Amino acid sequence: MNEQEKKSYLTRYHEAKEKGVPFFPDIIFKDVIVSLLVFVLLIALARVVGVPLEARADPADTNYTPRPEWYFMFLFQLLKYFPGNLEVIGVMVIPTLMILLLLVLPYIDRSPKRHYMNRPWASLAALAVVGGIATLTVLAVLEAPPPQVTAGADQAALLYSKNCSNCHGPSIDVPPGTDLHQLIAGGKHAGMPAWGGDLSTDEIDALAGFIVSPKGSALYTSQCGSCHELTVLAAGNPLELQRVLDQGPDYPPHTGVQVQRWSDTLSVSERNALLNFLAAPDGQRLFAVNCAGCHGHGVVFSGDEKQLRTLIADGGQHLAMPAWRGTLTEGDLVTLAAYVVDPAATPAGQTLFEQHCSTCHGDHVPASPDKDTARKVIATGGGHVTMPVWGTVLTPEQLDALVTYTLAAGQGGGAAAGGQLYAQNCSPCHGQFGEGGPNPTRAGDIIAPISSAEFLKTRDDITLRAIISQGQPNFGMSPFGAANGGPLSDDEVDAVVSFMRSWEANPPVELPTEVAQAQAAALTGDQLFTNVCSRCHGPLGEGGIGPALNTPAFQAKYDDQALYDLISKGHAASQMIAWGEVLTTEQIQQLVRYVRALQPGQDPMTFSGAVLPLLQEKCAVCHAADIKLGGWDSSSYKAVMTTGDNSPVVVPGDVSASLLAQKVLGTHTQGKIMPPSGKMTAWNIQLITDWIAAGAPDN
Amino acid sequence: MDTKLGNYLDERFGWRGVWAAIFLRKIPHVNWLYTLGSATLFVATLQIVTGILLTMYYVPTPDHAYDSVTYITTQLPAGWFIRGLHHWGASAMVVLTVLHLLRVFFYGAYKYPREVTWSTGVLLLLVVVGFGFTGYLLPWDQKAFWATTVGTRIIAVAPGIGPWLLRVARGGDELSAVTLARFFGVHVWVLPAALLALLLIHMYLVIRNGISAVPERKE
Amino acid sequence: MEPSSTVDASPKEISRRQFMSAAIAAMGGLIGAALGLPAIAYIIGPALTKKTENWVRLGAVSKVETGTPTLFKTTVQRQTGWIADQQEIAVYVLTEDGQKYVAMSNICTHLGCRVRWIAEQERFFSPCHNGVFDKDGNVVSGPPPRPLDRFETKIEDGVLYIRTV
Repeated sequence: MNEQEKKSYLTRYHEAKEKGVPFFPDIIFKDVIVSLLVFVLLIALARVVGVPLEARADPADTNYTPRPEWYFMFLFQLLKYFPGNLEVIGVMVIPTLMILLLLVLPYIDRSPKRHYMNRPWASLAALAVVGGIATLTVLAVLEAPPPQVTAGADQAALLYSKNCSNCHGPSIDVPPGTDLHQLIAGGKHAGMPAWGGDLSTDEIDALAGFIVSPKGSALYTSQCGSCHELTVLAAGNPLELQRVLDQGPDYPPHTGVQVQRWSDTLSVSERNALLNFLAAPDGQRLFAVNCAGCHGHGVVFSGDEKQLRTLIADGGQHLAMPAWRGTLTEGDLVTLAAYVVDPAATPAGQTLFEQHCSTCHGDHVPASPDKDTARKVIATGGGHVTMPVWGTVLTPEQLDALVTYTLAAGQGGGAAAGGQLYAQNCSPCHGQFGEGGPNPTRAGDIIAPISSAEFLKTRDDITLRAIISQGQPNFGMSPFGAANGGPLSDDEVDAVVSFMRSWEANPPVELPTEVAQAQAAALTGDQLFTNVCSRCHGPLGEGGIGPALNTPAFQAKYDDQALYDLISKGHAASQMIAWGEVLTTEQIQQLVRYVRALQPGQDPMTFSGAVLPLLQEKCAVCHAADIKLGGWDSSSYKAVMTTGDNSPVVVPGDVSASLLAQKVLGTHTQGKIMPPSGKMTAWNIQLITDWIAAGAPDN
Repeated sequence: MDTKLGNYLDERFGWRGVWAAIFLRKIPHVNWLYTLGSATLFVATLQIVTGILLTMYYVPTPDHAYDSVTYITTQLPAGWFIRGLHHWGASAMVVLTVLHLLRVFFYGAYKYPREVTWSTGVLLLLVVVGFGFTGYLLPWDQKAFWATTVGTRIIAVAPGIGPWLLRVARGGDELSAVTLARFFGVHVWVLPAALLALLLIHMYLVIRNGISAVPERKE
Repeated sequence: MEPSSTVDASPKEISRRQFMSAAIAAMGGLIGAALGLPAIAYIIGPALTKKTENWVRLGAVSKVETGTPTLFKTTVQRQTGWIADQQEIAVYVLTEDGQKYVAMSNICTHLGCRVRWIAEQERFFSPCHNGVFDKDGNVVSGPPPRPLDRFETKIEDGVLYIRTV
């Protein structure tokens, strides 16, 4: 632009200005209208859209997807095209150049042309830049969807980020079968603290679930979190959880609740993730919840992993026997059943048996107590229904964990499991390191060390096993083997022995005997009770392995003399040994006085307080509202009293006539003793019989 | 203002001359696109007013920022209104400034004699963007925190002094109370001062040189 | 717009300008009001919020000694702006007959010092400016302008509550 052009522009502008309008009010009128429109638009946005305020800033949250304000989006999108070392170009060079270009634009473009059509290149370039920025912004919005707003924060994820992520990062890879709960609660190596003191057991369960299945945790938050507190469902019963997922809104407790039909809305992998979160694949707990009801706590399995996996996955159907229900007619089934019970009386059955059964069973006709049982077995196959088909209940991860645990535990568990058993059962008398000490059952007596090299070398495994299993009543040691009424299975006895053997290589420090002797002074009744009785009857006499001593029922049942005799002579049917051989008369009298003075606690002998929980623990796996083996449902008072193929199974006030009592006592005439894992402890049995004898009250 | 008071004040202020120079000056015939500048000025005023109102309750520390913003939004009468205007006004500022810039560009209005007006305008755009960036952190919610974490990290890309610049911007290695305090300081003191100074120059130049006429095809 | 482009304004032009001026004033006023009124509400808002009253548990009625002001301490939750805090308050409770209970603040009505019951002299004493109150909280001597403040009381299940403001 030369001087000529400048002058000509100014002249033309002056003319246009003279023909124009005054700034006020003409121009301002327009300005105010537009301003008002903008103002109204802003108010509308504030009212309708509002101002988003997300959760408080959490620097520990690693999952948040950061999103810049929309007018920076194009810049962020641009960054994606400049990876690595080129980033500086996208971030610094291009924006800086653009700004500089804008700033000096009037000093570069000095042509007198003003109309955009008269300077096509500049106009096109500007359009290209505007279009590019718009495109980048749109791309950025499309590629990074805004973070989803969930109804509630994922509490388990929160726990994790608070407690674990500092050391473990965003996730932890756990080998299958790890007992996460125990690991978290107890800590592990030097760096990992024991969280048991800071977190509740429910929180640890939730954490374990989250570590195994973060996706499940998120699903939980979206599907269940609005009604259920996190910690209530975690570590629930897998059978029940599976049922909930299968039935959705039809699940009875969900009646009237707006829940989804999860079997339709969630994929199989999603449902598995959710189940993994709720019942973390932790073999030991899974075994305790699912298997111990029938199989007891002793894990006995000697096959290989594949066998075990099939066995658990297929449940009762593991036997090669197919379910004949689908193949044979009802008539044939009945005939076969009759034949099995009494082959001679049912000639028609023989043909069927030879046709269908002898391939596997050969000539041997399996024995069956009655036709109904036989029919059920034949109809449903070898599985009958006692063992649920776990393959449909547990997720693959849970199955892995269960198999791993069962295998490890079945092989005796090694010295580690033995160590735990030793600590529970032996260390009270023999000391933590087998160092021995004053014999709590015989005043003045000293238990010699059992961890010394001399002791262990002079006794072989068989001797040790026998001592543990049978006890040494003459020295005040009660029998520990299950065969002799003790708490340990043969495998567990073996585990204790192998633990003791581990001392042999490196015997623990032996205490000088004088130290131990000094402690064997006269004991008070309190000390006697704590040393002798509390292990079975509880520290307050509230009951444990043995019955409660502080209940009015117990106190009323025995007078002082009977109590003395009981302690002195023991109880043939239980683990209660004859303490008369161990304690002095004076000491037993002390104990009688002490037991008399025990404060009666709340009477636990109620149905809801004691009997029902016992039934839940021991029977509910097979006798529940929806499984009902033998037609019996143990889940409520009404069901216990009224259901069952041979109902009533409880005759109030008459123990001998009650099928339930017969079954647990072993005085029954039909079928197996219950539970199938073996007779319950004497104390548990007595709980049931006492309740029946008391008239089976609903209390 | 043809009153005695008007005369009295004019004698002392000379306001009639100022009034005539600013409001009664003649303007060429222009179209509605020419209102974009005024609209930007209007929203800027709105931002100043609502911003001042927000500082009456807002506390720029990590332990109070979020709570005080929540308090403004949910507890105070018209709190949602003031904060809503300020929030959406920020976006409106960017939109209007850019549209205004495009209008000036396509009409060639940045040319003689308005080159400096244009340059101050570009600087004003940078100030507006700076307002947006610093203001975004202030509510101290997740979005604010993480967007600013990523946003400031960009500075570290600068070759050589980048990491050091990042420490300066954040007042440390991480986003912290220091970051929040300095972002607040920049947002309510440094940038408004820059805005007002640039705006004064911009407006003076607009009045001094007059609003450009709509260019004609035949020049 | 041809005629209006001249500086010499016709009467029609003047009325048009007057209309625009009025419209500008109206719209400007509208914007001002739409921004100004909420702004006023926003500024005076905290003064408008009603003070929350609630019943605070003092303690068992049985602990009040008949005829002697008995001191109770309790904490009151207070919400000021966005900050929730607890404040400990101390209250003297007096009953003559075990029926009617009077709860008095221990804050001197003069300048807010904490009064103390001196049993031997049967008086409340304020340590700051020698304010003295009698058993019922009435001013006996000194600068306090009015008796000790009282709280409304109620008894439920043998527990004494006061209403705090």
